[in-house]
Amino acid sequence: MNRILKGMGKFLGLIGILLLAGCDYQSRQSTFDPKGPVALRQLELFNLTVWVCTFIFIFVGGALAYAVWKYRERKSDDPDFKPKQSHGNPLVEIGLIVASILLLVVIAIPTLDAIWYTHDTPDDEASKLGAWYQGELSEGAETEVLEVVVYGLQWWWEFQYPQLGITTANELIIPVGKVVHVELRSRDVLHSFWLPKIAGKVDTIPGRANSMWIQADEEGHYYGQCAEYCGESHAYMLFRADALSNEDFHKWVEHQKTPPKAPDGGDDWGAWISSVNANPDSVKGDDVLEGASLFYSKTCVVCHAIQGAGIAGIGGPDLTHVASRKTLAAGWLDNRKETNDESGDAEIDPEIQLENLTRWIYESENIKPGNRMYIGSVGVQNGLNTLKGTPNEITEEEARKIAIFLQNLK
Amino acid sequence: MSDDSHALKPEKSLLGLMRPDHSRGWVDWLTTVDHKKIGIMYGLAGLFFFIVGGIEVMLIRIQLAQPELNFISAQAYNQLFTMHGTTMIFLGAMPLIAAFFNFMVPLQIGARDVAFPRLNAFSLWVFMAGALVLNISWLFQLFYLFGWFDPIGGKDIVPSVGWFGYAPITTTEFSGIGSDFWVFGLQILGIASIAASLNFIVTILNMRAPGLTMMRLPVFTWMALVTSFLIIFAFPALTIALLELMFDRLFETNFFRVEQGGQPILWQHLFWVFGHPEVYILILPAMGIISEILPAFSRKPLFGYPIIVFSGAVIGFLGFAVWSHHMFTTGLGNIATAAFSLLTMAIAVPTGVKIFNWVGTIWGGRIKFTVPMIYAVGFIWMFMMGGFSGIMHSAAPADAQQQDTYFVVAHFHYVIIGGIVMALFGGLYYWLPKITGKMWEGKLGYWAVGFVVVGLNLTFGPMHWLGLLGMPRRTHTYLEETGFGTLNLWVTIGAFILAFGLLMVFIDMIILLRKKKTAGKDPWDARTLEWTTDSPPKVYNFHATPVIRSRDAYWYHKHGTPEQKMGWEDEGKGIHMPSQSWFPLLIGIGMAVMGTALSLHSGGVPFMGYIGIAGIVIVALGSYLWVFEGPGGYHIHPDEETSDDNS
Repeated sequence: MNRILKGMGKFLGLIGILLLAGCDYQSRQSTFDPKGPVALRQLELFNLTVWVCTFIFIFVGGALAYAVWKYRERKSDDPDFKPKQSHGNPLVEIGLIVASILLLVVIAIPTLDAIWYTHDTPDDEASKLGAWYQGELSEGAETEVLEVVVYGLQWWWEFQYPQLGITTANELIIPVGKVVHVELRSRDVLHSFWLPKIAGKVDTIPGRANSMWIQADEEGHYYGQCAEYCGESHAYMLFRADALSNEDFHKWVEHQKTPPKAPDGGDDWGAWISSVNANPDSVKGDDVLEGASLFYSKTCVVCHAIQGAGIAGIGGPDLTHVASRKTLAAGWLDNRKETNDESGDAEIDPEIQLENLTRWIYESENIKPGNRMYIGSVGVQNGLNTLKGTPNEITEEEARKIAIFLQNLK
Repeated sequence: MSDDSHALKPEKSLLGLMRPDHSRGWVDWLTTVDHKKIGIMYGLAGLFFFIVGGIEVMLIRIQLAQPELNFISAQAYNQLFTMHGTTMIFLGAMPLIAAFFNFMVPLQIGARDVAFPRLNAFSLWVFMAGALVLNISWLFQLFYLFGWFDPIGGKDIVPSVGWFGYAPITTTEFSGIGSDFWVFGLQILGIASIAASLNFIVTILNMRAPGLTMMRLPVFTWMALVTSFLIIFAFPALTIALLELMFDRLFETNFFRVEQGGQPILWQHLFWVFGHPEVYILILPAMGIISEILPAFSRKPLFGYPIIVFSGAVIGFLGFAVWSHHMFTTGLGNIATAAFSLLTMAIAVPTGVKIFNWVGTIWGGRIKFTVPMIYAVGFIWMFMMGGFSGIMHSAAPADAQQQDTYFVVAHFHYVIIGGIVMALFGGLYYWLPKITGKMWEGKLGYWAVGFVVVGLNLTFGPMHWLGLLGMPRRTHTYLEETGFGTLNLWVTIGAFILAFGLLMVFIDMIILLRKKKTAGKDPWDARTLEWTTDSPPKVYNFHATPVIRSRDAYWYHKHGTPEQKMGWEDEGKGIHMPSQSWFPLLIGIGMAVMGTALSLHSGGVPFMGYIGIAGIVIVALGSYLWVFEGPGGYHIHPDEETSDDNS
């Protein structure tokens, strides 16, 4: 048996070395690399608990290891030996209870402090919109910090900026160094909003509003993910956040508020639609125009909205500026050249974007099983699979044309 | 009733039906009310479902071994993790615990059986019914794949809502009939658990041998008592939650359906008011087993017995006051978060006390490293690791980063495998000689426990890192760019090592059964009353009523002063045995029919409503016949030569 124990010991040592080597590597969702005050405070508290537990482990584990070694039966021992039948020592027991309570107090006080700190949105003058934002605001917003309403949905995210009048999806844009208040809601099942480097998660629950605050201390591209089981494609419900400089944030808002050009390159979507209605053949031969008219005829407009185009579908992501997003399908498909770039500098590659859009429209079921675009939404509308086998079925070529049209929505 | 001539003849019940007493073979097993046979059946069912849950999780681990794999579909993955959790907790761990309760508690308290033997059989068969309802969904999923079966709600036939079933994903809008199988299965299992617990409470409080005061009870029996109280207080919360959900699904009530004004968050409160005590329902018996093994092989009494018992009870009480620490990310508000944070830390104190006292038990002893002892010492180490990550969770703001990540998975698997499974297998190695009458030989047990410990650390150690590096739980796969691939491969390799170790345990058990070497009454030179009986114990357990004169009665009987020796009451008198009965089994069948049929009814299968009602009628009929068949009973006279130890 001793031989077995020794062999095991060697094996465990080897594993220990390998595990330590494993600690080196980082992940783009690592909680060890906080980039905001909330995540930082959470990490500090975690580290404190680790130290206290390590202390207890050395103490108790040491005593256990010592006892196991010291009092083991040796080969030369009398197998019938009976140690003293002692029943305990009240003084030792009470002493250990008091000691463990004291150690817990060491954790408890910073915990209480951090509960209030991480939950309550700070009243930070410099973060109030009036202090830094120059654009148009809703009434009374000057004295508030930037507010984002997050909707967790099966299986994507909607981000609304009520003070700015913007709605977008799957990519959260925030100004760097500013407190942002986040309101969390859902319209279907539970989800959980989690940007590990910025802040711990808070659930989105249908029928009620949760809240949290976030702040990014560095510009960059942050990776997040739904953290509450929400059905078939829970694993595919990612999202991103870009923390932009003050100047870039202003530019982004301005861009979001400008409607995209009509498919014919003009500014007036209504005029273009009238012309297509008058002469349906006018779209032939031009991928953008054909894609745009397919976007109507294949019922995409029922669920998707394009601001300024008179398209106000509900249920799916707002596509007003879909081509300016770095990802597709709630972060699962990356449109950028370097897919693991954390600086946020990597550019969108139009070819990758076209490929992603085409695949997503043509075979979304293979990318995100159970998604509403494919199966439809219970009791609300049909999905693309109901078109299968009918003349309305989308072919790969048609999907590519719709994708080319969508690429124009910059 | 006199103890004479008609002793070994079957009796007629008050209804005029023959009672299945003294039957042989499978009729005997189906109608038995003997706590030992019921315990063995619980144990076999538990081990079977342990393997089922194990296969489920190995498929999960293969799927996660590499990024962006599609070894199993997302839907199948969700079904597998749902069934893995539900199976391991309700069909693996709980019946194994019930097996030990059934077999050992009456023996440890010097009783002939539990207080209500037929109710005990009822618990067993109702448990089997619940297990069947949950798992028969696999069969219908197979029918769906073949295209023979297409219910309302579609492909979602095996439950896929997670073992916690957070509303509103369990409502008809977001899930198929899998949720119905889940609701009915768990509801039926709850009935079994509550009935069994009432039985154990009455047994432990009333049927202790003379002189066996509460403060002389073996700690395992104490923990059985505390656990039983936890079950009867915790399960009703689950019962209510499941009823509400069933009403939402079947009758369109509005408890959890948001569009009708329902409040899904209420499900979480009800579920965790049950779910957190459930954790202690699982761990307290494990602690009880450890508290038996450590003194036996340290050859010295438990250190601080009163405080171990008291801390067990405190854990039980506090277990009801910490449920919302599962909900730190749901927006409880600062005050509630703070309160549950502090209460959760408080529960570390009685848990720590137990660990200190186990170390104290070993201290100054003479440790024999038998296989059960290695499991027990391993338990202390592994459970301590799980306890530390538990303390880390109790700091709510830190938990916001850990909740629903692999860090949590690592935490509770250290507690469940490093704690509960290690203790249960330790218990098997400790008590199987008593149960089977055969004694362990060879080194396979040592190798197995080595592989289990190494495998479990390799599997769940890296999961701490994975969680902190940002990998959420319950995800079908992950992008390569996340960098989770390497560690996940490690975890999968570890899982196979762990599975190999567990397989060795099963092989060792099969070898044991084929062995010739007999165990004798007391192979370990142990301390408690069960070791005074034959191995395996006779149907009547004790030939006479033992009289107890100290804690660790059998140890002092063997090695103590003359006045500490046990005595025997009512020696040579006939022993009254309870009659066997078909009706617990009949009720179980009725429950299985009801649960399965009503689930299929939800899927729009014709006539299933009527069959469901037929199931309810069978349950009612079984209960009626049971009540009116009368208590029955017969007497046997133990052969004095094979009777208990007086040496």
